[in-house]
Amino acid sequence: MSAPAAKLEVTSLQKRFGGLIAVKDVSFSVRAGEILGLIGPNGSGKSTVMKSILGVERPDSGSVRVDGQEVAGWPPHRIARLGVGMVFQHSRPLHRQTVLENILLGLLPDRLLDLLPRAATEARGRAIADRVGLASVLDRRPGTLPFADLRKIEIAKAIASDPHVVLIDEPFAGLTARETASFAKLIIEMRDDGRAILIVDHNVKSMSALVDRVYAMNVGEKIAEGTVAEVMANETVRRVYLGGALETAARPETSFADAQTPFLEIENVSVVYGKAQALENVSLHVHKGEFVAVVGLNGAGKTTLFNAVSGLVPYTGDIRRQGQAMRGLSAAAIARGGIVQSPEGRELFGLMTVRENLDMGGHGLSDKDRTERQEWLFDLFPRLKERQSQTAATLSGGEQQMLTIARALMMKPELLILDEPTLGLAPVIMEQISKAMERLRQTTDITVLLGEQNVTFALPHADRVYVLEHGRIVWEGEPSRFAAEAGAQYL
Amino acid sequence: MQFWQILIDGFAISSLYALGATGFTLIFGVTGVLNLSHGAIMVAAAVAAWAASGEWGAGSYVAALFGVLVALVLALATYYLIVRRLQLSRAVREEEKEIFILTATLLWGIMIQEAIAYLFTNNAKTVLPIVDGVVRILGVRTPANEIFTAVVCWATIGILWLFVNKTLAGKAVLAASMNPRGVTLVGIELKTVYVGVWAIYGVLAGVAGILLGMFLGVSSYSAGPLTASAFSIVVLGGLGSVSGSLIAAYVVGYLETLTAYLVSPAYRSIPALLLLVAVMYVRPRGLLGRR
Amino acid sequence: MVVRALFSPPVLISLVVLLLAATLPLYVSGYVLGLLTIAYYFGVFSMAWDLLFGFANEVNFGPSFLIGLGAYTAGILDSLYQPPIALCIAAGVLASMIGGLVLALPALRVRGPYFGLTTLVAVLMLQNFVVVAAGLTGGEIGLTIPDVISINDKVNYWIALGFMGVSGAILYGLTRSPVGLILQASGQDPVQAGALGFNVTKHKLAAFLVSAFFSGLAGALMAFYLGAASVGTFIDVTVGVQVIIGAVLGGRRTILGAVLGAVFLVALGESLRPLGDLATFIVSAVALVVVLFFPAGLLGMVKGVREAT
Repeated sequence: MSAPAAKLEVTSLQKRFGGLIAVKDVSFSVRAGEILGLIGPNGSGKSTVMKSILGVERPDSGSVRVDGQEVAGWPPHRIARLGVGMVFQHSRPLHRQTVLENILLGLLPDRLLDLLPRAATEARGRAIADRVGLASVLDRRPGTLPFADLRKIEIAKAIASDPHVVLIDEPFAGLTARETASFAKLIIEMRDDGRAILIVDHNVKSMSALVDRVYAMNVGEKIAEGTVAEVMANETVRRVYLGGALETAARPETSFADAQTPFLEIENVSVVYGKAQALENVSLHVHKGEFVAVVGLNGAGKTTLFNAVSGLVPYTGDIRRQGQAMRGLSAAAIARGGIVQSPEGRELFGLMTVRENLDMGGHGLSDKDRTERQEWLFDLFPRLKERQSQTAATLSGGEQQMLTIARALMMKPELLILDEPTLGLAPVIMEQISKAMERLRQTTDITVLLGEQNVTFALPHADRVYVLEHGRIVWEGEPSRFAAEAGAQYL
Repeated sequence: MQFWQILIDGFAISSLYALGATGFTLIFGVTGVLNLSHGAIMVAAAVAAWAASGEWGAGSYVAALFGVLVALVLALATYYLIVRRLQLSRAVREEEKEIFILTATLLWGIMIQEAIAYLFTNNAKTVLPIVDGVVRILGVRTPANEIFTAVVCWATIGILWLFVNKTLAGKAVLAASMNPRGVTLVGIELKTVYVGVWAIYGVLAGVAGILLGMFLGVSSYSAGPLTASAFSIVVLGGLGSVSGSLIAAYVVGYLETLTAYLVSPAYRSIPALLLLVAVMYVRPRGLLGRR
Repeated sequence: MVVRALFSPPVLISLVVLLLAATLPLYVSGYVLGLLTIAYYFGVFSMAWDLLFGFANEVNFGPSFLIGLGAYTAGILDSLYQPPIALCIAAGVLASMIGGLVLALPALRVRGPYFGLTTLVAVLMLQNFVVVAAGLTGGEIGLTIPDVISINDKVNYWIALGFMGVSGAILYGLTRSPVGLILQASGQDPVQAGALGFNVTKHKLAAFLVSAFFSGLAGALMAFYLGAASVGTFIDVTVGVQVIIGAVLGGRRTILGAVLGAVFLVALGESLRPLGDLATFIVSAVALVVVLFFPAGLLGMVKGVREAT
């Protein structure tokens, strides 16, 4: 007996954005009644793959077949009508409509003249709500509901149209253990209905109990495919996620002078974005001269944490610098005061040259100081010296990242916050940045707070490591013990 | 003969348009606000200068300075009372802020316009020129005032250029138009930059308004068309691009002058509008637009 | 759900208000009736605007483009050939809908401030055209329309009231229907609407055409009521602002609120008329205060209180 035909079949998918190859030769299939997990760190291309299936992006080459029908290049609404449902990562209900009305959206045909609501449609809506557990809140508006219920609305909308293929993006982000379990149950029920399910997420751990198979990606390509166990044991996968065997050069915490009052103290800090808890009671500290790494997957809350320190988002809790609370200082004042961020989004001045960007960073210095500092930075990053008259927007990703770090260093920071400096960069560039960081550590007394999902990059530089997951610190310790103790959690 | 006349008149009017459009584009490029009270502020400056010299007997220089001051105050008022209030408002959703700011500046412009009409009547007024007399250029008798207008416009634009490219404050403004978050990250208070930009805008609008008042005269009715022509030019040139606005100002200025001379003054604004429509359909970004 | 919607509080209250309004001609002066007639037409303008803004999330900054097209086409046709009034009005509506189509096509392709600008440019174009083609349109002086629907205050009032009532019913009903739900989704979250299988462009285009229909129809009817059309009454940017403010004052996304706002604005403008030039100033100031401090508008504030409880 032949295997049932694949409901979703992706073959040799390829997509470029300008010079960047986002997806290269990706092929997989999902059969009815099967759950495939698509995993990869940020920049791996998994979002582009998802968008290509949904029709939001048009693949450059390759095919996407739903129920045997080629859909690459179709507009999203046509693909949706063919039987593809999507549960988005972020809940996006219609705020002015009730829960029932939101679900009904998934049931309505795409007609202009649908003027009278039908009783049958409403009944089906109620049935679906019942199934996902929203029966008691049907007449309420999303604004009044807890986070987990908003996620349930997303699932209800997605399955309302009875899709053959369901894509789910990071299903469990922001959910408690109990909520996660009940969600997992819903997903299994969807599978048992005979749907083909593709779950997209950052790591295997979150979906290991659910998925039948895993397809792991990195930098646009497949790095492993197979059962959960097979993928977790795969060398490349382990290296990407855990860093493999690493040399660490950590200095013990006791070697830092300010043991009593660490340079930076973060105490019970929480940040809420709308409904979602971005950070929950996070406490950490950094000593003067120390290199601390905060390791966590995308969405774990690293950027939020750094933005709280930099004064860019409101927070509850305390953040103190050398014992003094920083609350109340403007973001620019905090930067001027020596706590400088090299942000994930880089935030360069695109139409200004490399030199001009550096000049902006050094605006507070005397002319002599500024020139000196620039020379030192050009020595640290020779690539930037070569490109000093080029506008920032025309630099490559790696060069832009170097410029971001250099601009931050122009400000003579006491504490440098580096947010995902290696995101989307080629290994060669990562090497260069790594070397620059090493030099910084050896030749200056700068304090560094590094946020990274790339453990291979972060651990060799760190004196101490924190692991941030879903807005909470789940592990703290020396880098040498990371793989052993935190690794299982992380992968 | 007429050719030179068109060339010179066109140049003067285009320079005036260029100055007005530069201010408009500066505000949009840096703060993202399309200030629909632009024309009203220009007219207010001109009328203030007229009142100062006409009704209160000030000399033409002092009157002009007074006019610029009025524009400066109005511009800052626009920022603090309206734009800032709405940007910080929690009652309005992010996506809607733009339309609210647009509507609010339009209303504010109408208020200024009506206040002028009420206080000074809506008759056309000419501001006392600083320079008078007639000069012969290329065989054409041209009011010295016209030359003065073009010179001052370009001098102002030149000063602005120097400011933006050679001073730290100016570079901060430029940086803010590219990436406001970046400005904060390098330790410069964005709020200070914004206040500065609105102040500069006030001066630009004031100078443009007074020059217009000296050259062609204004009335409270001029406010709307002035705003309309400023943003037509800015859209044509590309929102956020100062060089685009400059080029577009000359395109529009010459189109208008040519039409006024060769066809009829009544039709002067038609070709520019048609061009605008064409641009909106074919290349909504404008000539050199970024956003 | 239909039954529930039919007897929901807003509908019931509106019905009562309409009935009361219908009795006004029995005891109110012709002057007030005339004011209210204009206010009702503005109410329809604002409701049509609210459909586009509040639901399709498209900001039409030049509603007077559509209104002007309707009014002038109907008026010009009548002044040239004197065909039956119904034909003129139909022509006006058609012109307005074509105008809506022409406006929608580039508008749906661009994002950000460009759409608002496109609509503003359209108004300028029309304004310029009217002024320049003075032979046809009466230019800045205005167009005289030979026919009127009626010369009786009361009849005109009832026509306006009835028209507003029916328009309001249709527009409100649209927003509560399944199609209205799809439109809201298209406006609030086009990506998700697409993922749910809805052709967003199709629905937004339809919303444009509906808005144009009502704007043009109301414009044409008002032209025949006034017996004249001029740039100042139908096309000027201030007309557009009045339409928008009416909707915002009343409460955006309520449709019904637009009528409240429009009536309030007309009443305010009229009561301040003795102040002459200062009147426009005060109305603009009041409108500005509303925009700055009460952006939810009258009905919006009421709804907010209800939803919070």
